[in-house]
Amino acid sequence: MSNNKNPLLPHLATLQNVIDLTPDVRLFQIDLNDADFKAKFDYKPGQFVFVSAFGTGESPFGLTSVAHRKGPIEVAVRKVGTVTSSLHDLEPGAAVGVRGPFGNFFPMDQFKGKNIHIIGGGIGFAPLRPIILTILDHRNEYGDLFILNGARTPSDLVFANEFDTWASAPKTRLELTVDAKDDKWTGRVALIPAVVKELQLSPANSVAIICGPPIMIKFTLTELKKLGFADEQIVTTLEGKMKCGLGKCARCNVGDKYVCKDGPVFTFKQISGLLEQF
Amino acid sequence: MSKFISKKDLNSWLNKVREGRRLIAPTKVEDLVLFKEISRVEDIASDYVNTDLSPKEFLFPPTEVLFSIEKKDGGVDLTPARVEKETVIFGMRPCDAKGIIALDKPFLEEPADPLYKEHRDKTILVGVACLKACPECFCSSMGGGPDDPAGLDIMLTEVKDGYLVQVLTEKGKALMPDSMLSESREAKPKAAEVSKVPAEGINKKLRQNFEDPYWGRLADRCIHCNMCSYVCPTCYCFDIRDYPNKGKTDRVRSWESCQSAGFTKIAGGYDPRANKGIRMRQRFAHKLLYFPEQFGVSHCIGCGRCVKSCPVNIDIREIISDVQKLGAKGE
Repeated sequence: MSNNKNPLLPHLATLQNVIDLTPDVRLFQIDLNDADFKAKFDYKPGQFVFVSAFGTGESPFGLTSVAHRKGPIEVAVRKVGTVTSSLHDLEPGAAVGVRGPFGNFFPMDQFKGKNIHIIGGGIGFAPLRPIILTILDHRNEYGDLFILNGARTPSDLVFANEFDTWASAPKTRLELTVDAKDDKWTGRVALIPAVVKELQLSPANSVAIICGPPIMIKFTLTELKKLGFADEQIVTTLEGKMKCGLGKCARCNVGDKYVCKDGPVFTFKQISGLLEQF
Repeated sequence: MSKFISKKDLNSWLNKVREGRRLIAPTKVEDLVLFKEISRVEDIASDYVNTDLSPKEFLFPPTEVLFSIEKKDGGVDLTPARVEKETVIFGMRPCDAKGIIALDKPFLEEPADPLYKEHRDKTILVGVACLKACPECFCSSMGGGPDDPAGLDIMLTEVKDGYLVQVLTEKGKALMPDSMLSESREAKPKAAEVSKVPAEGINKKLRQNFEDPYWGRLADRCIHCNMCSYVCPTCYCFDIRDYPNKGKTDRVRSWESCQSAGFTKIAGGYDPRANKGIRMRQRFAHKLLYFPEQFGVSHCIGCGRCVKSCPVNIDIREIISDVQKLGAKGE
């Protein structure tokens, strides 16, 4: 939780760097202006922040960086609406606002010793990157790491510049897939659920963490369950319309839970226990 | 013995209350009775059963600037909004005080909403007990009652030539000290008779019948006017947006309704509540199931305003009765 006395008032921050990840996704590296707040700003994989494009508004984004690397805060933003378009118009040096971190997080301690399957589709891959970075930086604490990153086309795959590092890490396997190939693509052309089925991911001593469009999550879940994954072995991070991040605006209310403060990370066991299904 | 204030003394007290404060009280606006800022005590309406709108807007305004944003010298200045004056809300009914108790729950829960808290800290609530009820009233089935003083700082009950007075809080005492009051032997008049609704155990019944086709059938006639949320003393869903204002930008909070299409629509276009049956179910599940289980108080206070205002006669009293009669699926 933010230590700002007014939880709706953003902390001022500066865009340090803007990196194109795909034609419509940019990575924003953000530096907090206030030195005290910056020193105290700690967060865990799976948590999110609100980023303000002053004059347009603010939106929630999953943090895609990890705190232990001590770098700037990173969010990957797909240009899809008014706030994200305004953010895309900003250049390094621009003033932005940050509120957070909010929400719960991936239980990295419970993942220790287990084989981890990371399955991300499109921009849904971004909030999963902190799990990968945490495992790679503490490699012997975890079992095998399997990464499946899928996108509509090869140029829509996020974090392509890190694929070589990930693929060459010990006990790590990276698979990429696209819905439609381009001239240069020699890799897999298949939907994520089909790849999960084909590779026969093993549920033994493992967890699967999925994030992506609702339709991808739905069918991937079906395949994982066919492979013998129990609901408590499958984890996701939900997206919800949000305005406050504090459980007050009631926009992300699902059943008797709030995505912003009870989530965004849920196991499918928790989700299937919710009264309302999103 | 009870405390008493004469009508004449009350009026001079109200005139004094206005000094340096905002006095909000029911007043006639065409054929409605609404809470407005009062500049002449004579304008306060007295012959109303309940006001057409609750005083919610004075604690949680329909649109309110949270802070202003000014870009200068390459930097940004943020100036949070403040609440200047103390406000006295006079003449509210006990149901609306219950409504404020309900509003307090999400807004004052840690981390408290600073602007709401400031409004709340600087507002004094003076209620008047109900000796008459509207045909749509059902407060006593929702945890309240026509003479329930809960949530108020001062409660008045009208008697001949004046009011019996209950000063309930320190805030109330500071505004209406004992020295202003006399003793009265007058018996407390009988409170209004309020219709009953079978709300007992409605949370469980809703949970059991969550997937019932009832919600879809009910919503077929809803025309998305959001009037129910607009008149509701407890609806608190909100939106936050930036609006330009004379070279600066205001970050503005405004009322939103779970009945609006797009209320839950996320980036990329997916909307988990795209059909109005499940949006309507959300409204009643939040009022009668989630909120009571989360905070221990009902989120419907039985004022009947949504019943009175709905253009297609969607009636929460009828819904409570209907849901009680649905099967016990899921158990």
